[in-house]
Amino acid sequence: MDLIIESLPLLAKGLLVTFQLAVLTLLCATVLSAVFGLMGASRHWYLQAAALVYVEFFRDIPLVVNLLFVYFGAPLVGIPLDPFSAALVSFSSWGGANGAEIVRGGFNSISKHQRESAMALGLKPWESVCFVLAPQVLLPIIPAFTGLFSVLIQATSLASLVGALELFRSSQIIVERSTMMTGYSPAFTVYGVILCVYFVVCYSLTWLSKRLEKRLTDRASAGRNAQKLNQGAAESV
Amino acid sequence: MEYHFSFPYIWGAGPDLMSGLWMTIRISLVSIAISVVVGVVGASIRVFQIPVLSQLTSFYVNFVRSTPLLVQMFFIFYGLASLGMPLSAYWSGVLSLSLWGGAYNTENVRGGFLAIPHGLREASSAMAFNKFQFLILIALPVGMRVSIPAILNTSVSVLKNSAYLQAIGLAELTYVAMDRVAMDFRTLEMFAAIGVLYLGLVLLLSFAVRRLEYVLQRPYRTS
Repeated sequence: MDLIIESLPLLAKGLLVTFQLAVLTLLCATVLSAVFGLMGASRHWYLQAAALVYVEFFRDIPLVVNLLFVYFGAPLVGIPLDPFSAALVSFSSWGGANGAEIVRGGFNSISKHQRESAMALGLKPWESVCFVLAPQVLLPIIPAFTGLFSVLIQATSLASLVGALELFRSSQIIVERSTMMTGYSPAFTVYGVILCVYFVVCYSLTWLSKRLEKRLTDRASAGRNAQKLNQGAAESV
Repeated sequence: MEYHFSFPYIWGAGPDLMSGLWMTIRISLVSIAISVVVGVVGASIRVFQIPVLSQLTSFYVNFVRSTPLLVQMFFIFYGLASLGMPLSAYWSGVLSLSLWGGAYNTENVRGGFLAIPHGLREASSAMAFNKFQFLILIALPVGMRVSIPAILNTSVSVLKNSAYLQAIGLAELTYVAMDRVAMDFRTLEMFAAIGVLYLGLVLLLSFAVRRLEYVLQRPYRTS
């Protein structure tokens, strides 16, 4: 336990890098998922096909392989990436594929009439997306994106494989250093503590996501009940 | 820098890749089988609300789902060894993948059990079935039909996540490829090869999932 307290600064620095990586990844992934999610929900077959290829490609190839490929493959095309940027590129493309499915699901869950009414009102396609569809999609997909953030934080542990100094990599360093110096491996304690740190962070995000979802469905059902009440009132008059 | 993509190199690496692929498939199948068993047991504990075990299962599911699989693997591989219980890379892999898949399958199977119509439960108590008979005769045949697509999706994830095992030095597909990359610097060739292999495996399995979903829905189809 002393070892953990001694190495708190290193762990804190690692946790900070983990958060940085996760937040930056989330931002990039959100942009990618908005673009590919819209493409997936569009009515043009070629856009749909392009989105499908992107999503399937990145979701079906293991993230580890993706990451190692970006890290070791980038120098071959003349842009050597440091571990952090390689992880950012790889996780963003992967997170974008997962997010695109969420966004596409959100758009497809909106009833067709909304789109048709927008068209009937003479809105241009981009206007109907920006002013009619997107505002309705935004709220319901927030819980899913909170869940995605939790998954991304877990995914950042993979960045240790290419040597980015995030939470898991710093714990590995602690284990290795202490094994070298004392000849006794504290792996059980250190990795156990790290598991608990990840658990606290990610479980609170999961909890938040569940809560948001519950609030949204409560609100939706409250809306429906209010509607029902209004209908009842109209009928009784 | 000039880089010439060389197909003959991939053919040359064929035997190595095949042995890696075989290891990936073998460890995935073993882990998938164990994780389904874990899932059924966990879901039964949760659904029948067996006092202490139910809370423990719930914690196990949440814990595994909220922590990175890679850290779990290191915890099992290095952590157990530091306590004096060394497991080989293969068995650490099986253990961590099964625990990981089992947590997801517990939720999948539980979803299936919860979808069992209430009438069936009442009917089974009217027939004086005990819990175990209810589980074997009613819950599994009816509930599993609902949860099998989700279980297979988890199985696909287990297959993909077996690539994490290269970090603890198990000679599966990714490890073999990285090993050759380290020797010959044929990065693009090796990654193209394992990318195609993983894509092929996963697409094959997802196709099977979709097909199975169709077949499983057959009794409920009216036309």
